[in-house]
Amino acid sequence: MLKKKGWFTLLSLVLLVSVVLAGCGGNNNASSSSNAGSNGGSGNSQETKNLTFMFRGGPDEQKAYEGVVKKFEADHPNVKVKIVVTAADQYATKLKASITGNSLPDVFYFESGDLKAYVNSGVLLDLTSYIEGNSNIDLNNIWKYGVDLYRYDGTMAGQGNIYGMPKDVGPFALGYNKTMFEAAGIPLPDKDKPYTWDEFIKVAQQLTIDKDGDGKLDQFGAGFNVNWALQAFVWSNGADWIDATKTKVTIDDPKFAEALQFFADMQNKYGITPSTEQAQTLDTYQRWMKGEMAFFPVGPWDMSTFETLPFDYDLLPYPAGSTGKSATWTGSLGIGASAKTKHPEEAVELINYLTASKEGMDALVKAKVQIPNLIDMAGEWAADSSTKPANKEEFLQIVEEYGRVLPGHYTYNAEWYNLFFTDIQPVLDGKVTAAEYVKSEQPKMQKLLDKAIEQEEKSKK
Amino acid sequence: MNQKSNLYRKEKIYGFLFILPPLLGLLIFTLYPMIYSIYGSFTDWDGLGQMNLVGLSNFKDLWTDELFHKALFNTLFMMLGIPIGIVLALLLALGLNRGVPGTTAFRVIYYVPVISSLAAVSIMWNWAYNGDYGLVNQFLDLFGISGPNWMANKYTVKPALIIMAVWKGVGYTMLLYLAALQSVSRSYYEAAELDGAGSFKAFWHITWPMVRPVTFFIIVTNIIGGSQIFTEMNIMTPTGGPEYASASVVFYIWQKAFGNFQMGYASAMAVVLGAFIFVVTLIQFRMNEKQSFDVD
Repeated sequence: MLKKKGWFTLLSLVLLVSVVLAGCGGNNNASSSSNAGSNGGSGNSQETKNLTFMFRGGPDEQKAYEGVVKKFEADHPNVKVKIVVTAADQYATKLKASITGNSLPDVFYFESGDLKAYVNSGVLLDLTSYIEGNSNIDLNNIWKYGVDLYRYDGTMAGQGNIYGMPKDVGPFALGYNKTMFEAAGIPLPDKDKPYTWDEFIKVAQQLTIDKDGDGKLDQFGAGFNVNWALQAFVWSNGADWIDATKTKVTIDDPKFAEALQFFADMQNKYGITPSTEQAQTLDTYQRWMKGEMAFFPVGPWDMSTFETLPFDYDLLPYPAGSTGKSATWTGSLGIGASAKTKHPEEAVELINYLTASKEGMDALVKAKVQIPNLIDMAGEWAADSSTKPANKEEFLQIVEEYGRVLPGHYTYNAEWYNLFFTDIQPVLDGKVTAAEYVKSEQPKMQKLLDKAIEQEEKSKK
Repeated sequence: MNQKSNLYRKEKIYGFLFILPPLLGLLIFTLYPMIYSIYGSFTDWDGLGQMNLVGLSNFKDLWTDELFHKALFNTLFMMLGIPIGIVLALLLALGLNRGVPGTTAFRVIYYVPVISSLAAVSIMWNWAYNGDYGLVNQFLDLFGISGPNWMANKYTVKPALIIMAVWKGVGYTMLLYLAALQSVSRSYYEAAELDGAGSFKAFWHITWPMVRPVTFFIIVTNIIGGSQIFTEMNIMTPTGGPEYASASVVFYIWQKAFGNFQMGYASAMAVVLGAFIFVVTLIQFRMNEKQSFDVD
């Protein structure tokens, strides 16, 4: 008896499991047979194709993207999109873990700097054939800068096949507090002619004030986070972190040291920025928002937040170093598809909808989290004077004319570049001169770059 | 006879089925990754493509890797919090064991940080440590001390993390000590009192030896936990702190593996860390055996 009952339990369990499994299988069979029946026309509309889309972003951005995906589903009734959102700081870890674990979403964000590694190891779907032959996409109407970031020909990034589309381009412009200028009676900066470094210091010094006379400054000329603002000074002085072949670290160039020294001097010599101790990103960001800072970098993703500031702000070109020209970087995040996706057509369709369609772009731009990817739409957008900042044109000029990629983009990993910022504190504190620093740091960075190049060679085999 | 052996067999199957889930869990989520990462440590794996065996070269590189040495030093340095936590927890436990009014309330107060999410706690302390408007510096201001910007200064970032870790862990340790104290028989103290021992002597010769097993447990688990410290610095100093002053070994492993496509190298570090924890724990168990012998 007992024995029988035991086997009965086991048997029913097996049955249950097989019924469940058969249920899933049965669905597939049904849909594929309906496919076969209607393969004459465009009639596989019966079949629901499931896509997974993984991305990250702030709350405003999340809402905007979720809305666009909903619209996409409405336009494509046979496609269902499952959204996976992750906190920004966990995104890279999660993405890389899902690659290792072979569970990559169909469509996902990725950093342009990771392009080489992902292409060499066959993670990303080659989008070229889907995009170049697509009548819905006019590549000439999308920022060349943005698309080129996701091109790779096997040796050099920036040319060749397309492995992703820019989610957006993020020109990192310089903003200024217009209200503060007016209150101090200082003539507003020219939006087409950058300050020289000397002029910039002079204006900033006039705006660095101890208002209540307690011996503590409560209004500052500027606040720059070294990680994101030093580039503007180095590049406009004609120097760079890496040479044209992307194999040599060039920070030991005297022009580089000069720019870095100027950056440190803003605090130590000219006293126009909060002390380094106080200059964590959050603090300068808070100060700017409280109206205690004259100049502060502004990215398009900040527009929705800055819209409600109690003062008026606008954009101007970064102060120019010895080249006489402004410089800054343009960020970007790509949207790519998994090389293993079961529905490449639909995956690419979703990518296009998010990056290159009028409907998608319209919703995202209205949410004020980015500038339009479509050039004609961007022109209209910049001309609209009803939204802040007035000189939105500056954003477009950066993308079209003088914005650059961050130096880590072209190399297999950015470890060498990150080390520069890990060790920089003594320079900012004025304890080490820029000239000494670049000399001692160059070999360390070169060693890591050599390692990255070696890694890249191996990954191609 | 036949019937009985069937029953026995059946129970054996059921028993096996019951332990199967945790056993599978152990095999799939612990043993397999462990062996995989040991294998990975001998390869140049980037976490995406193929793995090529490179012998001991990862381990050789570790010898000369300045950042690894820094991370190792930081990790060991932050273990200074362990003895501090033990002393504080024991003092608190002794206090609460005396039956002061409101004991339960105090227990709850000290235990709340333990059950709070580490991420939330880190964000809260990050605010408290803020140089401009942080609670800590505002408090110091009351005494005319102008505090540093804790997380942005390479000399204060480690102590700041230690203070937070002690605050977070002290409730758990205290509870363990409290349980241990309550199991010490009153009769020992009565005997000691009759012999004329003062309260310090009673503590030193009765309480401390009696709670020694708990102390041993706390030290072992804290060192293992301390070697794997990660979340705090990941949230509070996402770039490893000023001049990498707050990066732990696990933080560096994570950066290498997920930031720089060096899964093989990261695996080598993980293996070294694992070996370190194993050896230290082994030594502690040996020492503990020896001491038990002495006490008896």
